[in-house]
Amino acid sequence: MLDVTDLVTAYGKIEALKGVSLQVEGGKITCLLGPNGAGKTTLMMTIAGVLQPRRGSIRLKGAELAGLSPARIVSQGVALVPENRLVFPHMSVYENLLAGAYQRHDKAGVNADIERMYARFPQLHERSEQMAGTLSGGEQQMLAVARALMSQPRLLLMDEPSLGLAPLIVAEIFNIIAELNRDGTTIFLVEQNAHMALQVAHQFFLMEQGRITFKGTPGQLAEDEVIQRAYLGTRRAAG
Amino acid sequence: MDLLDLIDTIQSIADGVLFGTTYALLGIGFTLIFGVMHKINLSFAAASIGAAYASLLILSAVKAPAVVVFLMAAAAGGVLGGLVYLVGFKFIPLANPLATLMSTVGLLLLIDEIIVHTTAGVPLNYPALFSDVIVPIGPFNLRGDLMFVFVLGCVCMTVLLLLLYRTKLGLATRAVSQQPTASQLCGIGIMRVNILTFVITGVVGGIAGAMTGAAIGMLSPLLSLPLTVKGLIVTVIGGLGSIPGAIVAGLVVGGLENFFQFLRGVSERDLYIMLLLFAFLVFRPGGIFTVAAGRD
Ligand SMILES: Nc1ncnc2c1ncn2[C@@H]1O[C@H](COP(=O)(O)OP(=O)(O)O)[C@@H](O)[C@H]1O
Ligand SMILES: [Mg+2]
Repeated sequence: MLDVTDLVTAYGKIEALKGVSLQVEGGKITCLLGPNGAGKTTLMMTIAGVLQPRRGSIRLKGAELAGLSPARIVSQGVALVPENRLVFPHMSVYENLLAGAYQRHDKAGVNADIERMYARFPQLHERSEQMAGTLSGGEQQMLAVARALMSQPRLLLMDEPSLGLAPLIVAEIFNIIAELNRDGTTIFLVEQNAHMALQVAHQFFLMEQGRITFKGTPGQLAEDEVIQRAYLGTRRAAG
Repeated sequence: MDLLDLIDTIQSIADGVLFGTTYALLGIGFTLIFGVMHKINLSFAAASIGAAYASLLILSAVKAPAVVVFLMAAAAGGVLGGLVYLVGFKFIPLANPLATLMSTVGLLLLIDEIIVHTTAGVPLNYPALFSDVIVPIGPFNLRGDLMFVFVLGCVCMTVLLLLLYRTKLGLATRAVSQQPTASQLCGIGIMRVNILTFVITGVVGGIAGAMTGAAIGMLSPLLSLPLTVKGLIVTVIGGLGSIPGAIVAGLVVGGLENFFQFLRGVSERDLYIMLLLFAFLVFRPGGIFTVAAGRD
């Protein structure tokens, strides 16, 4: 579904992505693991169009996304749940969801979808008029996911949805990820929590220092090796 | 102080509060642009006066009624707002905080110069509405033209708040001001929101410029600098980024300004407003309504 080929993204002179190639299969959960600073967030932001790549291509079902504006990429059916959630703090939960549906013009459909989000995330329903900045971390994460879903994406990108959340909430988030996937959404997930990620993923990639260093299925590599490389990079695993 | 003095004092404060709606509108303009771009547009008040001038010059051939002149000022304000964005912001590196400060000071001077050169620096009469009406309330007399300015200002603020809180464009504007990256991820075009914010604040500025002209009875190129300073003071006292703050601060500054003018004369009044600003900067630097940091 998504084909990333030889992607290079730089901050000034520093290349954070040094030629990344990977594939996300339709209908599956694909996971990207890697230590801090590997370039995972940079990759997500580049796919979403917030960062422009220097080189390489990003194809969604064959259509080129590289070079498009973030708005055009949303309209192609790609939505990103960003790292640190980035909810609109002084807007109500309801307004955050409306913002997620910014490009849609079917009012009835948007309202029906908001009701569906409320059914799926009951905490959001209870707090629909509350300012998003006053929600707990877990609730903000649910809101960020629901907001992304409001654009009716074919491909949902998620950048460390479990970051800074209590274990119980993390388990809930992963349940939701599996559930969304069962309902037909393709998911490309960045995680630090390798243990949880390997349980839901169909496919995974390891990224270290701006390069993909492993591609496979969760059974293919011993979990402790994955964990070591995901947290610490190869240097440690070799030693 | 005897009763007559007291009545005069209250009268002058009331006149000032009525005129304060212009300050409130200017403050809202500064604050809205700061909200979406985190930049100060120093040319805003000059462009507002420029829009009022434009309405006079464009309609100079015909004998247009005051209402038409006002509408023309609003339209000219919108056009000027768009131009200010194009010249002062679009091609300027936004990452450098001083760059747009410089470009907008440049625009302020440019607009002033254009005004001086097209009118030879001579003040022009500005039409007012209801200037022959005086409404007596008890011992006080409310001037019709000031009341009109006040009502127009209130209508303008109401429309603006409805726009911000009841429309999709308003939702996008607030989204961009709170979390620009997330706005992009929602498919909101930041550039489009920025341009529209400049056009809309420009319209508000044009109306404020017309209100100033109507209340004073004339336009002069000497207005733009004091109005810039007043607008900024109102913005800071109200709290950068806060619309309710700009409204309250505008009315307060308008009222106090007239109060001090009544007590101490026109040459001294600004001194006390500066002292008020100073007090705020020292004791409550976030302004009346401190806006909690909305960005990470
Ligand atoms: N805004 C930025 N400016 C400069 N360098 C950055 C910026 N954001 C990230 N980097 C650098 O790019 C590299 C990849 O960062 P990031 O994509 O955030 O990694 P990850 O999400 O895997 O932790 C890091 O070395 C980081 O220091
Ligand atoms: Mg990251």
